Amino acid sequence: MKPFSYVRPADAKAAIAAAGTEGASFLAGGTTLIDLMRLEVMTPSAVVDLGRLAMTAIERAGDGVRIGAMARNSDVAMHPLVVERYPLLSQALLAGASQQVRNMATVGGNLVQRTRCPYFRDLAVPCNKRAPGSGCSALDGYTRSHAILGTSPSCIATHPSDMCVALAALDAVVHTRHGSRERAIPIGEFHTLPGEHPEVENVLGQGELITHVELPASPFAAHARYVKVRDRAAFAFALAAAAVGLDIADGRIRGARVALGGVATKPWRSAEAEQALVGQPPARATFERAAAAAIVDPKPRRDNAFKVALAQRTIVRALELAWGSP
Amino acid sequence: MSSMTTPIAVGMVAPSFALHGDARRALSSSEARGRPWVLAFVRRWSPGADTEAIRAELRGLGAILFIVSDAGVWSFRPDDDLELSIAPSRQLRREIAALGARCGVGTRDDGVLVVDDAGIVRFAHAPSSELTSSLADALDAAGRELLGLPTRPGITRRDWAVMSLVAGFGLVLFHGCGGRGTEPAAPTTVVAKPGTEIEVVLRINGQDRRLKIDPRTSLLDALREHLALTGTRKGCDHGQCGACTVLRDGHAVNACLTLAVAAEGAEITTIEGLARGDRLHPLQAAFIEHDAFQCGYCTSGQIMSAVALLREGRSKTDDEVRQQMSGNICRCGAYPNIIAAIQAARKEV
Amino acid sequence: MKSPLVGTAIDRVDGKKKVTGAQTYAAEVQVANVAHAVIVGSTIGRGKIKAIDARAAEAAPGVIAVVTHHNAPQFPGVTGQHEGNDRVVQGLQDDIVLYHDQPIAVVVADTLERAQHAATLVTAEYEAASTVADVEADLPAAFVPETPRGPLQTSRGDVAAGLAAATHKIDTTYRTPVETHNPMEPHATTAVWQGADRLTLYDSTQAISNVRRRLSGMLGLAPENVRVINHFCGGGFGSKGAPWSHVLLAAIAAKASGRAVKLACTRPQLQSLVGHRPKTVQKIELGADARGRLTAIRHDVVSETSRYDLFVESCTAVTRMLYACPNLATVQRIVRLDVPTPTFTRAPGESTGTFALESALDELAHAAGIDPLELRRKNHADHDPETGKPWSSKSLLECYRRAAEAIDWSRRPAKPRTVRDGRWLVGLGIATTTRPSRQLPSSARARVLADGRAVVQAGTQEIGTGTYTVMTQIACDALALPLGDVRFELGDTALPEAPPSVGSFTAASTGPAVHNACVALRKKLIDQAIGDPASPLHGLAADAIDAEDGALFAKADRKRRDGYAAIVGRSQQPEISVELHTEAHKDRDNFSVGGFGAVFARVRIDEELGELRLDRLVGAFAAGRILNPKTARSQLIGGMVWGIGQALHEHSVRDARTARMVTRDLADYHVPVHADVPDLEVLLVPEDDPHVNELGVKGLGELSTPGVAAAIANAVYNATGVRIRDLPITPDKLMKQPEPR
Repeated sequence: MKPFSYVRPADAKAAIAAAGTEGASFLAGGTTLIDLMRLEVMTPSAVVDLGRLAMTAIERAGDGVRIGAMARNSDVAMHPLVVERYPLLSQALLAGASQQVRNMATVGGNLVQRTRCPYFRDLAVPCNKRAPGSGCSALDGYTRSHAILGTSPSCIATHPSDMCVALAALDAVVHTRHGSRERAIPIGEFHTLPGEHPEVENVLGQGELITHVELPASPFAAHARYVKVRDRAAFAFALAAAAVGLDIADGRIRGARVALGGVATKPWRSAEAEQALVGQPPARATFERAAAAAIVDPKPRRDNAFKVALAQRTIVRALELAWGSP
Repeated sequence: MSSMTTPIAVGMVAPSFALHGDARRALSSSEARGRPWVLAFVRRWSPGADTEAIRAELRGLGAILFIVSDAGVWSFRPDDDLELSIAPSRQLRREIAALGARCGVGTRDDGVLVVDDAGIVRFAHAPSSELTSSLADALDAAGRELLGLPTRPGITRRDWAVMSLVAGFGLVLFHGCGGRGTEPAAPTTVVAKPGTEIEVVLRINGQDRRLKIDPRTSLLDALREHLALTGTRKGCDHGQCGACTVLRDGHAVNACLTLAVAAEGAEITTIEGLARGDRLHPLQAAFIEHDAFQCGYCTSGQIMSAVALLREGRSKTDDEVRQQMSGNICRCGAYPNIIAAIQAARKEV
Repeated sequence: MKSPLVGTAIDRVDGKKKVTGAQTYAAEVQVANVAHAVIVGSTIGRGKIKAIDARAAEAAPGVIAVVTHHNAPQFPGVTGQHEGNDRVVQGLQDDIVLYHDQPIAVVVADTLERAQHAATLVTAEYEAASTVADVEADLPAAFVPETPRGPLQTSRGDVAAGLAAATHKIDTTYRTPVETHNPMEPHATTAVWQGADRLTLYDSTQAISNVRRRLSGMLGLAPENVRVINHFCGGGFGSKGAPWSHVLLAAIAAKASGRAVKLACTRPQLQSLVGHRPKTVQKIELGADARGRLTAIRHDVVSETSRYDLFVESCTAVTRMLYACPNLATVQRIVRLDVPTPTFTRAPGESTGTFALESALDELAHAAGIDPLELRRKNHADHDPETGKPWSSKSLLECYRRAAEAIDWSRRPAKPRTVRDGRWLVGLGIATTTRPSRQLPSSARARVLADGRAVVQAGTQEIGTGTYTVMTQIACDALALPLGDVRFELGDTALPEAPPSVGSFTAASTGPAVHNACVALRKKLIDQAIGDPASPLHGLAADAIDAEDGALFAKADRKRRDGYAAIVGRSQQPEISVELHTEAHKDRDNFSVGGFGAVFARVRIDEELGELRLDRLVGAFAAGRILNPKTARSQLIGGMVWGIGQALHEHSVRDARTARMVTRDLADYHVPVHADVPDLEVLLVPEDDPHVNELGVKGLGELSTPGVAAAIANAVYNATGVRIRDLPITPDKLMKQPEPR
């Protein structure tokens, strides 16, 4: 680890002030930051420890739920409000990482989780995300874990989060504070595509603090499912994951949500798939049409071509399970 | 202080010696030929609680140690059983007195000589009346002096020269690094500049442990490298194996991904904090009964995760337990036995 | 007579230490003022270091030394002679780069954090050459090497004729990937110099005496001046069988810095610096007559080695002896790549070779319309077909019978894709497994102390197999002492020399040595008593005396007793001891010796998503006498978990362009986790073997790994009709191919 100054502010205001300087980084659960600092993939000049900030509440907010940025993944996953109203989020969180990591990782931290691309983690090789302009080692390298959607010639790294896929499906809103300015960022606008600047992964400014996430009321609790396909039965990143919700009334799909993980450079919401579902009867044929619609212009590489079919099938499976078919 | 004869000084050739007492074989300095050795006159020493600490010091010095005491003479190698070399006798007492005289150590005095592999005295402590604190602490002081390291926190070089081998040394050592005394409720912003050490108080197994550490130090390295709590293992250092699992406020976490300084104020439990004296935690007993380990390296982490699992109580079926335990890799493949042990201990926890 | 401890499922004697965290590993030995060393690795795969800049690192806070090839002490022994199973290591002796991540510098600092950061400040410029990363990228270069590890090219009978005469034929190619051992305890060495020419190494090793021999040779020290200590080893699986570069570097770093030094490899370094199982490409041809009797076997293997050292993954060893077949030809070739040298990995050769052979048998069974179990029974080798010698014992047919019964094999439909359970396709598969048993010479010392208790010592290792426990059991029985009265010591080159803890031969080698030393000590105690007028047993014949509970007694009059403590006490000595060297049992030359077993798997597969769940894994094994059923079962389930990893997860990937490892940690190199492993079923088939050694022990640390991958792959075929010939079996390979558009 590169030496850094350690700051443990007592409140959000002090935290934002401390993190205002270039190179400063917030420390929440540490499961990404400490991991990458030890590799010196991340080398913050200052670490601003949010451990003393009281931002852990999970509470009702109007018809929805408000989750503090420092709420632990495991606490969120097991919270009655979440289990009851947003089972999709609970399932996604429990599908991620290990119990230890879930006990440490926070909602705010998970929103800014970094990719697991092996080239990003290896200082000895070029990586545009880590060292802008150095090149992408993955493009013609080993690409089994990489993205097929949202890629650019600069970067094909997969967004690794499970939680964010559920948040994307649930229309979460990320609330931040920056100085005296507060803003609410819809989850779909929070993460950015790599384009020519894969080093930029979200719209947060330097020192902008995520305070909480709000989930609007959801009609999908009765028919929601997170399905994750991976190489091991637990503790592995997704080869493909789908978070879906169906609002079914009178034998028709009134509303639908479809989001993908493990196959895209950001949590991937598919309006095309949702469109293909709405108004249709819940049936395998409908689900297959939606799944086909979800994968628009994929850019598979040598080792991840299977993800095109796998992503579609994962959507179909998630929709079937959400619907309640065997 | 008693009177000194010819004091041994640094840079002199060390006195060779051979002590016989009534034993058939002599103990002589030639046993150490070619390697550094330490001669310690410690009148009241006998093997006890400090032997492990002495071993660590001897490894650091790369030396073997001859202890001369009223209870006999020991030759002390860091990795061998400690056995009395020569039992006390009047003859031995006479020999010791003569050797002491050559080293400038009076018959009631304590003193320490460190001799390098060429036989030159590298460190000589002026004898003092009695070494009532730990011999290990004296060796520590010698080691630091030889390596040009600062003396331990709270003791200045001058203090040490005056105080090191006299009564109260231990007290100075353990209380001298105090100063803050307050609990880290931390209402204020704590700042450590890059490259500076920071003082932290960690609550580990029910005890406050005060440390001065690099802010980069993980909780795992704080335990292993600073507190000699090596039961928490380092398997990957990246949160991918679970060998470093400890409880933080009752929940299983990866100590490798936790900055020690960020763990201030939390209640940390390690594998060393589970058993109550000789009474094993039911999970520990179940792990033995079900042979839930082989090489043992992942075992501490497995047990700590299992403690949290049973306390939380959500995972009940074998499959649920397997899912929740999947952050703890066992490369020897003891998994079925680990699950059996957890399920068996469930009834007793 | 008390019932013997050998054969009893006692708890491990080191169990309490291991569940309380009290046992210490190589990086945990307490050393005052120890410095920390960190290895800097190369960032090219082949070439030369043009320039290396250590200035920033040297100037960094806390740095004591930065050692590079410019300032490293030169040791001619590093590049000198080495023995067959040693590995060539790199110790900063020159500017040549042979593989990615090769050590090019070592940074020593006062704290770990400072050493780690300073290591990132060392920069190098290279003259890089092109690299080859995969055997299949350079197959024409494959050659049969000159190495004692053979035979590498064998034949018997006439394979061409055997194939021509065959009714059923199989000709297929199987691939197994690079696998990396990844023991939980990263390789680590704490090096302490005592003066200029004495060195103590606390080293995580499976072979303390190898480390002493090799390091003393490389450093130019007298062997007796190097002491290697390792009381507990956190797993090795072959990767700790020979010392690698880091051990030498720890010694060099300690020398250069004038400090005791602790060097622990990082997990990424373990992917490159301490060996791996090489990739294999295995072509198998089988021929069988109409009734399923094998008429020909041809097995051609290509595996990888480094540019600078030889290693052969001897896949064909199993092929040569597993089935009765008159016509056979095998060849092992290797390809030199720009990679570090591979090495032995749990069941080396057997686990890879068995995957190919047992998959091919399954293909043959299907082609011939014969039940796969029946096919194996038909071709059972009643004696060793390679040597013609009889087996010292073999219980394979019984293993088949018991495992088949346990998994209900008779109800398996022969036709694939027959059994469905909801979205799952279910299938059963079988494979045979075997491991040769060897006995190496070993010494041991047995001592009875003044209190009548015993200390028994041998320079073996505890790598998790239960060595402390089973040796204690053997010693207790031989000395007639209760469990608490014998302390077994190991892991120190100051003790009598014992072989490495590799090849499953510790129980069969050091076990007999401990037994013989203890028996000799007991005899010495008896002689002492007989000759001592003060003994109640004075003047009796030796065979009139027996022992129990730490005392000798007259068989004719059990009240005539002489306790060990009393015998030692009267001897005027602090203890009575015997040190004995035991050679391999003389009977062994007349027999072929090995353990055998049968592995059956039931899998379920969701072919839409490519998900596989291992339902059941049943193994029946026979390996001579079982010293401790509890630890034996643990070793066997552990070996089966390794087989699961080989079948489903393990795959080290190198970048094809650079030969640099891509899978650099445990998130990218998958080993099985709890959720992947069902409750494994182990059946221990009793076997009495009077020929192998005094104890009748064959050893079983690796017996249960070979066969598992093939059993699973064969079950996959039975479930889906898809034959996976390329490990590991991952979802992308199991996904039903999309319908053509």
